[in-house]
Amino acid sequence: MNRNYFLLTILMLILAAGTFFLKKQTDYKQINADKLLWEIIQPSRFVTTDQVARMIIQKDPSLEILDVRSPEEFAKFSLPNAINIPPDSLMAPSSNDYFGIPGIKIVFISDDGIKADQEWVLAKRLGFKNMYVMKGGLNRWIETIIQPKEPGESEPYTAFEEYEFRKGARLYFTGAKVEKSTVSKKVKVVIHRKKKAAVAAGGC
Amino acid sequence: MHVHESNPQKTLITIILFVLVIVIGFLTLHRPRFKYKLNMAESVQMLQNKTNCFYPWQLPDVLDKTHPKVVLIDIRNKFVFSRGHIPGAENISAFDLTKKKNIRHLKALAGKNVTVVLYGNGPLQANGPWMWFRMVGFSNVKYLAGGYGYYKAHKDNLAETKNDNSYLTGIPRFNYAVVASSKNVPATTTQKMKKPVIVRRKRKAAVAAGGC
Repeated sequence: MNRNYFLLTILMLILAAGTFFLKKQTDYKQINADKLLWEIIQPSRFVTTDQVARMIIQKDPSLEILDVRSPEEFAKFSLPNAINIPPDSLMAPSSNDYFGIPGIKIVFISDDGIKADQEWVLAKRLGFKNMYVMKGGLNRWIETIIQPKEPGESEPYTAFEEYEFRKGARLYFTGAKVEKSTVSKKVKVVIHRKKKAAVAAGGC
Repeated sequence: MHVHESNPQKTLITIILFVLVIVIGFLTLHRPRFKYKLNMAESVQMLQNKTNCFYPWQLPDVLDKTHPKVVLIDIRNKFVFSRGHIPGAENISAFDLTKKKNIRHLKALAGKNVTVVLYGNGPLQANGPWMWFRMVGFSNVKYLAGGYGYYKAHKDNLAETKNDNSYLTGIPRFNYAVVASSKNVPATTTQKMKKPVIVRRKRKAAVAAGGC
């Protein structure tokens, strides 16, 4: 037999043997570490309590709330339709069903946003998309939606609009009665003056 | 009779080319710059650690240089940094953290066993980058609890904040179940809301628009 063919065969066998030394792949996919940091520093991954409240009230079908607190705390109080996934059960096969559904926005919530943020990073590392963190968490939820503060007089018009929305949202979430106070709802007064007819428009 | 057998040199050339292609392939293989040193389970475990953050009451020691083994890094952008920062802090904006120069610097600090403390504006900003550094193997990185905002508000009595818990995270500050179901209207002032009145004046028609 030709010596060169023999060499070629040996070379192939050596290369094939090299595959035994390939690193063992983990059983889950991960995104590159470089890409992960890039995703982490995007401010667009945060949503406000107002945005979440609005989505709940409008019964947005694409919203999925994931609560990362402990099951005991979750049992005491949770937002409507929230799902409880503490960080240690993130890798459990049962919780995998909630991630990576096309067209679904996932919002992580916790007491103040830190734990939610950490779980966001973990889930992002697994490559899931369309995930957000509710800034300020449930503490800010109570402060803004359940106990909204009236804006001061010098605050801009948007603050008043926001307050009006929060008052309505509060009624929605607490089931409180509509307050019948003496505070009359003033309607925005828009004065349209009739166009004055030009001085000498008509005929004499 | 096979063609190659008439020219043994040809097979040798093929072998050499084959090896060359494989070697070049391996050399140009895209290797990511960073690799996770902690797997998922370890990362979850790491989050439970109580010594992950650097507390504001530990800052005075750093500020008066009695504790030189700590370096503060401000991850906000240059503009915000220039408007106010913790004295002695370095500024590496979050977008520049992985620049080669900065990574070399951070690695040097890690080699000297210096604790690196990241901080952002609020408590949330440095949290993500801190976690990232931990996962890629910088075990000397911590984050400042409360962020710059808390520092600024308590600048003069940092040592006393040891008993304050407002910067601690993961604490429910309300009894949600009670507060959220209470039907009482929270104490609001009876002051009437002022709404801006928008007056739109129509433009006056020109004096002598029509004519007789």
